[in-house]
Amino acid sequence: MRNTIGLLLVLTVLFIIPTLEYAFGQEEPGKYLNRRVEIWNLFFRLMVVAFTIGAVVSGTLVWLCIRFRESNPKAKPTKYEESGAW
Amino acid sequence: MSEHGNWPEWVYIGVVVALLVWVGAEAWNIERLVEEVPEDAQVIKVTGQQWFWSFEHEDGTKEIGELHLVKGKAYKFEVTSKDVIHSFNIHDYVVLMDAVPGRINIVWFAPDEVGEFEIQCREYCGLIHYNMRAKLYVEEAI
Repeated sequence: MRNTIGLLLVLTVLFIIPTLEYAFGQEEPGKYLNRRVEIWNLFFRLMVVAFTIGAVVSGTLVWLCIRFRESNPKAKPTKYEESGAW
Repeated sequence: MSEHGNWPEWVYIGVVVALLVWVGAEAWNIERLVEEVPEDAQVIKVTGQQWFWSFEHEDGTKEIGELHLVKGKAYKFEVTSKDVIHSFNIHDYVVLMDAVPGRINIVWFAPDEVGEFEIQCREYCGLIHYNMRAKLYVEEAI
């Protein structure tokens, strides 16, 4: 549990705080901003994030399926299978 | 606690949560910036009705089916409808706001290019919705 909290703290410092600072530390409203540029830039940034998350999630699933399939040469029985309990 | 460590799962969750927080923060911030109307923006009343757009400038000038604006100035559109729900859209400037009867919705922009641009209805509003268009003329400041 302590490890988990430590890890979350590290992640907070590494990712979440800089993210918030980056997002909120930008220009202030009231200027003649170009909404076309702002909105399309937002769209492209979010698409990058969406595809990154998609790649990480689907890549992990593909890796899981390949690595833990029964026919994988590295596959070994779990301790439950070894003991015949399952 | 189980025998094996589960830190990869926590890293995985942490990275995904961080990315989602970033997405939310970015979107919130841009929305905040885009919705803040400049104080010196000129008000244009936009009315949608089946199946045309009419515009009223601050000085009372009215236009139907076309809108003349000046490059480099900010304009605040007060969008409403007389009958059904329409949606006021200037595609080239990414302006989009629903026109709802009994409501005044606000959207603003500052044209930065001289030219002719299409204004269209983006909410299906009946038989001639497809042709509920108007022309935006952006002119050089005199």
